[in-house]
Amino acid sequence: MPEPEPGVRPGARADAGARAGTEARTGTETRAATGSGPGRLLVAIYAVFALAAGARAGVQIATKFSAAPVAYSLSALAAAVYVLATVALARGGRASLRVAVAACAVELAGVLVVGTLSLVDAEAFPDATVWSGYGRGYGFVPLVLPVVGLLWLRRTARTGGGSHTGGGRPVGGG
Amino acid sequence: MTNVLATVIIVVALLAAGHALVTALRDRAMGTGHLVVLGVLEALLVAQAVTGFVKLAGDEGPEHPATFVGYLLGVLLIPAAGAGWGVLERSRWGPGVLVVACLAVAVMIVRLNQIWSGTGA
Repeated sequence: MPEPEPGVRPGARADAGARAGTEARTGTETRAATGSGPGRLLVAIYAVFALAAGARAGVQIATKFSAAPVAYSLSALAAAVYVLATVALARGGRASLRVAVAACAVELAGVLVVGTLSLVDAEAFPDATVWSGYGRGYGFVPLVLPVVGLLWLRRTARTGGGSHTGGGRPVGGG
Repeated sequence: MTNVLATVIIVVALLAAGHALVTALRDRAMGTGHLVVLGVLEALLVAQAVTGFVKLAGDEGPEHPATFVGYLLGVLLIPAAGAGWGVLERSRWGPGVLVVACLAVAVMIVRLNQIWSGTGA
């Protein structure tokens, strides 16, 4: 029996078909292909932010943690979430998909909460974190990134992951 | 920092980003040309790291060099990681990765210079 070409059945899911098609052909169909195609670009952006946030948190905690422990802990949390999201998106697969959804959700919540707090209570945040002012210092990319991430995950969950077992649980994002 | 070297790196990074963007828009995958350009960029960054450390050892630069050193070394990872990650994707999204990587390098060099000259004032 030839492979039944998962995810590209004529008529069904025509909207997502164009890109899912290329992923299926490159042999990544056994995993949710969150790290290929446009996802590869997403992972690259996440990696840059993991590096930026991680380095920033590392320096802040190493040199002046006592000055603003809450802000610097949040900085470290942001870095950890970016690292987690990068790895989960790059690996693909079902377990990673859930981790990635969780990481993106935490990230979205973080950027909204920290963004608001940093505007309301500026004294608690003497140094900018990636999430301060809704990621203003980083061109608001930290605000857009989790939304794009969740949309991308929802799309790959529909077209990629579950097509073999027929029971791909929809991963509800946001 | 040596402004000439920093300027050269920024120009090369932006040209590389432009080159990769054109490739992505033409719907082509990454090729050898991209790897050569990234190699040149990486070599320039290594030269900058060496220069930076020599200058730091000579008592120049910012008072608290931790952030500066972080950027100096962190930026070295980007072209290599971008090349590795991008070359595995045989579609337009491979060079797309390079656009991100090269722009990140350019931004980091600008920040690096701000940190360096922060003490000059």
